[in-house]
Amino acid sequence: MPVPGVPILEGKYPSTMDLYPLEAKEFNRIHQFYENLRQKRFTTTKCKKCGHVPFPPRVVCPKCNSDDLEWVDLPTQGKVLQFTEEVAGVPLGFEAPLIHALIDLGEGRKLVSRIINCKEGQLKEGDAVKLAVFDIPPMIIEKKGGVMDEAKRVFFAFEPVKR
Amino acid sequence: MPERDVCIIGGGMSRWGVREASIIDMAQEAAKECFDEVPALKKKDVDGLLFASSYCGRRSFQVNIAPVIAERIGIKPTSMCTRLDTLCAGGSSGIILATGLIKSGMADVVVVAGGEKLYTPQRWETYYSELASIDHDWDGAQGMGLPPPYFSMTAQEHMKRYGTTKEQLGAVSVKNRRNGSTNPKGHFQKAVTMEEVMASRVIVPPLSLFDCCPITDGCAAVLLTYEEKAKELTDRPLVYIRGTAQVSLHSMSMNWPGEHLADWLHLRTAAKRAYEMARVGPDDIDVAMTHDCFTISEIVEMEDLGFCKKGEGGPFVESGQSDFGGKLPVNTDGGLLSCGHPFGATGIRQAREMLHQLQGRAIRQVEGAEIGLTHNLSGLNVEHTILIYGREP
Repeated sequence: MPVPGVPILEGKYPSTMDLYPLEAKEFNRIHQFYENLRQKRFTTTKCKKCGHVPFPPRVVCPKCNSDDLEWVDLPTQGKVLQFTEEVAGVPLGFEAPLIHALIDLGEGRKLVSRIINCKEGQLKEGDAVKLAVFDIPPMIIEKKGGVMDEAKRVFFAFEPVKR
Repeated sequence: MPERDVCIIGGGMSRWGVREASIIDMAQEAAKECFDEVPALKKKDVDGLLFASSYCGRRSFQVNIAPVIAERIGIKPTSMCTRLDTLCAGGSSGIILATGLIKSGMADVVVVAGGEKLYTPQRWETYYSELASIDHDWDGAQGMGLPPPYFSMTAQEHMKRYGTTKEQLGAVSVKNRRNGSTNPKGHFQKAVTMEEVMASRVIVPPLSLFDCCPITDGCAAVLLTYEEKAKELTDRPLVYIRGTAQVSLHSMSMNWPGEHLADWLHLRTAAKRAYEMARVGPDDIDVAMTHDCFTISEIVEMEDLGFCKKGEGGPFVESGQSDFGGKLPVNTDGGLLSCGHPFGATGIRQAREMLHQLQGRAIRQVEGAEIGLTHNLSGLNVEHTILIYGREP
């Protein structure tokens, strides 16, 4: 694919323009989060020493500095506390309406996530939403001998629970 | 060496806006105006440069920009020459660090400059690059790089909880655009009426066009030194840096530190520390530059900086308490809403306006101003930075 103005980039994968995480195990020690996501599990790391369960997942416990961690499941359903719907000026890579919600996941956890599979004007405060996992474009990783390897990726958002 | 008191003695800005210029061009314009304000200064007196820029690597394809800027503006630093990045608070971070270097004797005369060339030849890259401004792997990938959705939720929460109205948001815009109408360096010089604000295009409800600061190119520079050197270099009243704080309690939307999105615990924490260091309280502040990236931001800042009670920010701005003739004028040069927001330059633009206010030579002067506060919110509301300036050390 030609790149106007920068022909030397033709056919190249510029990872610095990639809006998604470099998830592949060659580049990311929390690679397992994305593997779990692929199984529709929403997970994070728990410290085996002090029991702390931070999100996002880590490679070292931010509380006690132990690196003995295990993967645990977080809830995959939550309740919408607040939301916004952006219909104009949506950034490249996203479609209108771009909906974001502050979600109460229970266990004292709240997060802001994109809401997909939802029409403008459909979402209401208090609505139940659930984890949605979808494919995103692969990373193209250069291997020995110049072989290009496609590392498949998934990412997540939340979607309304059908009533 | 005993601790030295630190003064800001000069300030300059490039013209801000959608500029037909590179970041290197604009840095020279800002430094020229800064040096011109202090004619007694020789360039060989300058021993340090701190340059705040978040996006020079991404949008100007230039990392390690500090030596490039030093060479272009004709200085040869011997104590410190580095770039720093705190996004919207980069300039204020530079002033805090320069204060520490000078106070301790590690540097004597430091230029703190900063800025961004945010407009790329194609607009998609200008907006797309914003996705790097926040926790990339988690919030960026959720499409939260452009901040209006997040601040719209803050505004909704403030309206629901405290009864804040769309007109009260608009009052911030009307005031700051009026203040900016006489600032020749800002992005906009056009005042707006409440009718225009209320009728403006919706960005993300309840925020409309005039509730949001623009994307802006620009640079700014200030000059800092110790008290004795300042007396040698300028006959103008001395302006001291009295108190500083920078507070970071979380990095992403999941770990918000407050009770709700309109409760900015990290700002209150920063304010407490800066007031204590400066030995003043909110009632002592004569003039303030606070981070009006959105109108709702300035309203919450009035509360969590202690200028009014929690929940009363709306009536406070609507009744003119943050305007000339009120309790304390805020964003006297137009703020981000008028001047725009080239991230690394904003804290320096605020410092320059504060210098002019406390020396009695601002374009819109607050009579008798002696103590002032500047504030930045940075990233997806992940950090708060405060500086307190005074005519006494």
